[in-house]
This record gives sequence, structure tokens and C-alpha cells, in this order.
Amino acid sequence: MSVMKYGIGMRTQYAAGTEMQTAFEEQMEQARLAEKLGFDSLMKSSHLAGHPLQEFQQLPFLCRVMAEAPSLRLITGVMLLSLHKPLDIAEQLATMDVMSSGRLIFGVGLGYREVEFKAFGTTSKERVKRFEENLIAIKRLWTEDRVSMTGSHFELDDAALSLKPSQKPTPPVWIGANADAAIVRAAKMADAWFVNPHQRLDTIERQAKLYKRALDEAGKPFPNDLPGCREVFVANSREEAIEAAKPFLAAKYKVYHQWGQDEDMPDDDNDLSLDYDELLEDRFMLGSPEEIAEQVIAHNKRVGINHLILNFHWVGMPQAMCLESMTRFAEEVRPLVEQGI
Amino acid sequence: MDYGLLIRSQYKAGDDMVAAFDDCMAQARLAEKLGFASLLKGSHYAGAPLQELQQIPFLSRVMAECPSLRLITGIVLLSLHKPLDIAELLATIDVMSNGKLTFGAGLGYREVEFQGFGTTQKDRVARFEENLEAVVKLWTEDNVTLKGSHFNLDNVTLSCKPVQKPHPPIWIGANADAAVRRAALMSDTWFINPHQRMATIERQMEIYKRGLEEAGKPFPDELPLMRELFVAPSRKEAEELARPYLEAKYKVYHQWGQDKAMPKGDDNLNLDFDDLARDRFLFGSPDEVTEQIVKFNKNLGANHFILGIHWVSMPNNLVLDMMNIMAEEVFPQVEQAL
Repeated sequence: MSVMKYGIGMRTQYAAGTEMQTAFEEQMEQARLAEKLGFDSLMKSSHLAGHPLQEFQQLPFLCRVMAEAPSLRLITGVMLLSLHKPLDIAEQLATMDVMSSGRLIFGVGLGYREVEFKAFGTTSKERVKRFEENLIAIKRLWTEDRVSMTGSHFELDDAALSLKPSQKPTPPVWIGANADAAIVRAAKMADAWFVNPHQRLDTIERQAKLYKRALDEAGKPFPNDLPGCREVFVANSREEAIEAAKPFLAAKYKVYHQWGQDEDMPDDDNDLSLDYDELLEDRFMLGSPEEIAEQVIAHNKRVGINHLILNFHWVGMPQAMCLESMTRFAEEVRPLVEQGI
Repeated sequence: MDYGLLIRSQYKAGDDMVAAFDDCMAQARLAEKLGFASLLKGSHYAGAPLQELQQIPFLSRVMAECPSLRLITGIVLLSLHKPLDIAELLATIDVMSNGKLTFGAGLGYREVEFQGFGTTQKDRVARFEENLEAVVKLWTEDNVTLKGSHFNLDNVTLSCKPVQKPHPPIWIGANADAAVRRAALMSDTWFINPHQRMATIERQMEIYKRGLEEAGKPFPDELPLMRELFVAPSRKEAEELARPYLEAKYKVYHQWGQDKAMPKGDDNLNLDFDDLARDRFLFGSPDEVTEQIVKFNKNLGANHFILGIHWVSMPNNLVLDMMNIMAEEVFPQVEQAL
């Protein structure tokens, strides 16, 4: 068994005006390649009302893509849990877990966009409370036969799920956390902290200490799987990778900044409006296979990350470029990491 | 005439649902092979004592097995949900399937569902109507601003729009008279429910037509009707085989309170089996079932029959056998008779 597991992050984001049926075919091709190259997992994020970008919704996408990638774990990365009703999510995900013979990983997070909170009839202020009660309710619905529980926005009155997940006691629960308070919550409430893709390695190192202290306090061991997510692009050299990736990554982070993602990040590392060159610093894995292998090893040694979800595709990137980067990662970077770890 | 397959995916407590899912996939593959036109999946939350797969994940997965079938939500319990959520989920299904989604919507009736979604039976009509209006706006417009009783769309543009323009077909499933009228006013067609007798539907058809006239809408090209089916080489064999499944199934609907949503005089689902079968189901030999389908077509104009074939605890090979009998004997006989 290798030390590291690798996943492919599938944001499925395309520019307005792109034909989404063609985009869907591209995404299926990426999934089939991930399966063929021996990746371990596949992750789909979630944004509603994602304009000016187009993208597919998380649950339908993961349910469809499982047919193309029958051996990959399927990760909701992350589900914006505070928006939803626990009975709805518990049933949808149990169905996904059954249909995939137990391959679901339930990644959850708070969400941060006002347009989403409003459309779901809630507010940013309520998000932590709703997140916590939803997660508790879902775990109970998955593990108990009859659940009675009154939440702030739902009532379970002797409710019994239509079906339970295949995995017992529950599918793994990962909490995606940027802010320090959310990391403490991840230690208490989840099977693992899902390290987010936006922060510098030194920030993550500091937060990992916080995570370990919170685990100690909760009397929980360090998880066997510590997942993290990163942007990656494999080329012949760092210069070449930076040049090639620039138009896509810079545009992507501009949208995150517009959406307000950085408002949720720690004060010393919260400016996603930075220049492209500064964003690159320790945040993205761009370079030759040797350089990327070194970065992967650093993430493992310094933080303990051993399940790395990699975003290969960015808005506007031609499909061939994405497939080549995936292939080079699997064939060139992966063996170097195995040797070096 | 089009035929659809209802995949109820309902199994009894304790059944292995991974195996059940494989059975459902086999049904879908056979439907594709036999030339069915559509596949329909219902939705119930907290469905114990039955087990069941959820609608949106199931339809998203099954499309890979039956690439030429239309995919029908039959129905989405629309009053439970938020319109942005449903509009985005269904748009993704429509794109992934190259425009094969049909959006069937209905009110829902079970207290445990309303409570679980933080709403009440009393609010269901208002929420249904505002949700449907919002979903259609989100599918057809950019920058939607609309404030509902339980949501606030503030300059919202969907992450992706459906492939079908202006939007996927909308069917409203309706049992009660008021709902039939709503179907005429608010949807592309009335999705006639599986529980009622011909005479009741004929009476309601007048309500539907009056509603269409009021709205200045023509009678729809497509009139879908869902029916329970039991077909066997002879009527006697059909009865023998069907009895245990039908009785158990209708007992659960009765417990859930489905009959409270139906018109007076045709609201007792807890009846004798022979009585239930008369004019309510498609039932008997291939000749008899052909006759019944033709009658529903002539009397009502129904031209898309959604067939409920699988019942709880029924072995899958029996379902596949009945599908084969339909395709080999009944479909061609109906064509000749029309």
C-alpha cells in the first residue's frame, strides 16, 4: 500500500457561453482517465448560482460519474451543509453510497455566499448553528432507526430513513475548514479535517497544530486519512508551468475573490486578490515532476496530508492540456513521491 | 402511444439495497432494449417500513444505462424544497442526459416530510405555486429577483440552464379537483395519477378542460397516465401472481394517508383486490391489457402510459417477464387497435 492517496478534483467550471453538453463529455473523459491511471478518489465541489461561471451540480454529477469510474471513492467536496435539510441530504447521500457500493466520502463545509443563504431562506449568521445541528441529525438518521429531534429549521418526528448508507457506522465525514474556529469544529465533529486548497503551507502548518490540540482535547487520535486539496499543473519546468497555467488560475482566483471566499480565511493569509506571482507562493503545485513531488512530500511530512485531491482543470483550460497534466502526474510524479517518502 | 417504466425501487426492510439497485439497473437496461420511451422515479422521504432509493441520485445514475429514455421525476414533492436547489439539480440532469428530463411535480401529503423540511401541510399549496414559478424563471431568465415566503432570490443567475428550451416539459401530478385545475393553469400537462378509476378521471377531465380554456391553452399533445400493471398469459395467472403484492402495497399507501388527497367517493384504497383491479389497473391477459389501454386512450386521450410493474418483494425476473410480454404482445396490438 502506498503512503499517499490521490484524488481528482472536478469543479466542472466553464465560462459563460460554453456549451455544457460538450463540457460534460470532457468531464466524463477526465473521470475515465482518472480511473485508468489508478487515482483513488474523485471530488465534486458545490456552488449554486455560480454565475459568471457555469458548472454542474454536485449530487447529480457524482451519481452520474460513478458509472465511468467504478473504483474511485466519491467525495462531496464540500457540501454546503448549512443550506440544506438533514432528512434530504441523509437520504440523497445514502442512495449515492448504496449505488456506489459504499464509496461515498461526505465532505461538508459552511458556505459563505450571501446569494446562496438568501435563496435557501437562511442567513450567514445562522450558518454555524445550522451546520452543527444538520450534521448531528444526519449522523443520527444514518445510524439510528427512529429519530426524534427538533432543530432550528426542521423537526424529525420519529423519522426513519428510506435507506441507510452501505458503509457502517457511516461514510467518512470530512469537514472542510479555512478559519481557525472551523478547524476546531472539524476535530470535534468529523473523521478528518479536510485541508483547504487556498492557503499557504506555513498557514496550514500552524493550523495543523491547532487541529492536533483540539483532537487531544476531544480524546481522539490523529486520523488515518488526512485529506488536502491543491491546484496542480505538471510541465517540464516551473517557469513553463507558471506560464501555461497563468491565464486559467488567475481568472479562477479572481472569481473566488469576487464571491468572498477570502473573508473566511485567517487574517494573515486572506488576500486572494493578490498578484498571480504572489498567489503562487507555496499555494499551488506548479512545476516539473521533480518539483511537484517535492511539494507533495512536504505536505505529507510537514502537515501529515496523505490523501491529496488535485484540481487539474481550470476554467478555460483546453481538455488536452488537462489530460496530459493528469497523465504526467500519475506516471512521473507519483513514483517519485513513493521513492522520496 | 408512448410507454414509460416506473422504477419504484421500493423494497422491504432488511432487503440488501445494493442487490436491489442492480435489479433496478437491469429493469432500466431492458426498458432501453425493448423500446420504452421513458423512465420515471418517484420520491418519498422517511419511507420506512419500506426501503427506497432517492429520486435525483437515482435518475442521475440510471441515465448511463438507458441513454435514449426520457427521465421523469414522478413526482418531485415540490413544496418541500427550495427553488434554487431544484432548478440547479434538474438543469444538471437535463444537460447530462442531452435534454431528456421531464419535470413532474406535486404537492406531497405526508406529515413526516413536511416536518422534516421545516414546513407544514397548510403551507404546501402556496409553496408549491411560488416554487414552480421561481424554477421556471430561473430556467428561462438571467438575474432573477423574486421574494417568496421561504426564499429570497436576489439577482440570481443559475450555474447552468437546461438544454431544452424554453425549459423541460412540466407535468403536474394531481389527484384532487383543485390540483387538477392547477395542472391546467400552471403546467404543460396533467399527469394523471395511478390510483383513480376511469369514471373519476373522466369527471376530472372536465375540470381540466375548463381550466385550459380559462387559461387560453390548447389541449396538450402529451397526456401522461400512470397505471399499475399486471400482465400474464391468462387473467387467472395474472390474479394469482398479483394478489400478494397489490394487497401489501395498497395497505402501505393507506397507512401513509394517500387516500386523504383523493376526491370523495373514490377515496378508499383499502379495498378488496378484485374491486381495486376493476378500471383502476391494467390487469389480465395481453388481450385484456390491450383493451384497457385502448379504452384509456379513447375515453381520456391518454397517450403516454407509465407502467408500475415492480412491487415490494416481487422477484426481478417476474418484472422483466412482464416487460417482455408488454413489448412483444401488447405494444403491437395497441398499435393495430388505434
